[in-house]
Amino acid sequence: MPRKRHANKDIEEAVAYAELQGWRIEIRKGHAWGRMYCPFNTKDCRCGEFCVASIWSTPKNTQNHAKQIRRIVDNCTGNRSAGGKDHES
Amino acid sequence: MNREYDFTLTFSVPTGLEQEALESALFESGCDDAIIGLGQKGRLALNFTREAESAEKAMLSALQQVKKAVPEAQLVEAGPDLVGISDMASLLNFSRQNMRKLIQTHLASFPLPVHEGASALWHLVDVLTWFSETQRRAIPTDLMDVAGVSMGVNLVREVRRVDHQLQAQLDSIA
Repeated sequence: MPRKRHANKDIEEAVAYAELQGWRIEIRKGHAWGRMYCPFNTKDCRCGEFCVASIWSTPKNTQNHAKQIRRIVDNCTGNRSAGGKDHES
Repeated sequence: MNREYDFTLTFSVPTGLEQEALESALFESGCDDAIIGLGQKGRLALNFTREAESAEKAMLSALQQVKKAVPEAQLVEAGPDLVGISDMASLLNFSRQNMRKLIQTHLASFPLPVHEGASALWHLVDVLTWFSETQRRAIPTDLMDVAGVSMGVNLVREVRRVDHQLQAQLDSIA
């Protein structure tokens, strides 16, 4: 079944981008339109607290919110492609 | 003129709190300019993009709003502050290897780390200042400001725990 779209174009694009990177989107009702779940919610994942993130229905600034979503995705997958386990040091 | 500041606040919260209630309370209190992370048990993280007159005003108002929405929340860390070599490398567009080399060759002037060892950590504001002053790198003011305030927030949280007598004795040595 196709997922419900976010009413804002920028956010919808960011959500689609997250899905493309394997993130699972769960639709909610209320202030949070939905939640995004990291596909590698494991030890070698870098996003930590942001492995599960809430996406607002009506954020203060839609473009910034879209950027926040993309940044979470990039922080996570970026590290994986750069060699995964190499967290710090 | 107002600027936009990007920063992250991480809190410890009781594990019993419901996710949906947290989201609602935070939204209502004005955190609709943050994305909320609830991916770790007992932790709440907020990545803000906040428009404000100064980095200080941005972070203080954010801290106030979270405290109001979730009175049980206790601050764990404000960022961007503590950074390791890979964080620095990606922020300043170096490879990790080159970043490491740069530190090695400038050991005398490079800022002292907060923690040394397998995963060394620095305060970002020190690192940025070094790059700006000795490497003539252009560092965005908003990043420099927000790193400075983040360090302040983290240090104040710690300094409250210092024993005054110990502090006086240490001061007399240094």
